[in-house]
Amino acid sequence: MHPPLSRADLATLINEANAAARRLHRKLALPTADLDDLRQDLLVDLICRLPGLNARRGSLGAFANIVLRNQASRIACRHHHQRRAQNGTLLSINVPLSGSREPIGQTLTEADGLASWYGQERTTEDDLEAGLALSRALARLPEADRRLCAALAHRSVAAIAAHGFGSRSALYRRIADLRRVLTAYGLGPSWDEFATA
Amino acid sequence: MAITPVISAPTSRPLTEIAFCAWVAQAVSGDRLEYYRGFLAVDVWPLFTRLSDPERDELTKLAARALWAAEQGLVHLVQERLGRAHFAYLAIARPKPNTADFSLSSLLLAAA
Repeated sequence: MHPPLSRADLATLINEANAAARRLHRKLALPTADLDDLRQDLLVDLICRLPGLNARRGSLGAFANIVLRNQASRIACRHHHQRRAQNGTLLSINVPLSGSREPIGQTLTEADGLASWYGQERTTEDDLEAGLALSRALARLPEADRRLCAALAHRSVAAIAAHGFGSRSALYRRIADLRRVLTAYGLGPSWDEFATA
Repeated sequence: MAITPVISAPTSRPLTEIAFCAWVAQAVSGDRLEYYRGFLAVDVWPLFTRLSDPERDELTKLAARALWAAEQGLVHLVQERLGRAHFAYLAIARPKPNTADFSLSSLLLAAA
């Protein structure tokens, strides 16, 4: 077991983590509120890796520096990946856009949500109709299929197969059949999409 | 009495099972869809059919789904004779059966 940390060592770790967090925060141009989260993520990772410290190979400060640099690099990669997936950076809805006084949140309409950015524009009416269609479709399903749908909401096919719903291949066949059945009950692609394709 | 025009499956692309299901969902009472033209009973047989294996498989599934929809009270199935061993297979939408709605949340709670 690693010997307990002295106050001086702890101060070194905190200082290094603070410096690394500030560097990363500046590099990623994140909102101010994210600095504390970054600092905490880096510090926790550093503390978890302390058992790997070999005092003969270098000081605690040097060890912390390497660990923090690697973890900062991983966080930056993850962040860039998220930005690419979202077509841009995240903005707080509580801050105004440049040249505007109103917070972004007050300028957005219902159709400006993330889903609509990806072409899945949904309104409250759509959600209401989907809910009604779902209730009607469930009412028409046999009890066994209803139980399967409910189980699929919580667990994977492999987990369901282990709970006595049949083999995985049989389950996949049932799910494929359910997809057709639910489409016929209004929970699937619309005819217009096929007619115009 | 006005007769609803028949919607035909596009000739370039045979109707698929999932497209048929989508039509069933969207159709209102009296809407008609020609889901196949030919001789269905023969065309699903590997020995006699002029269709390729994937096309025959899809036709078999489509025919089974049409029968299922009829059994569920969603459509009527009728045939129109166009010539010798040549038929138009029509699905005519029926009024949607009234069923009591089922609450999703109660289902999920029961399964949890």
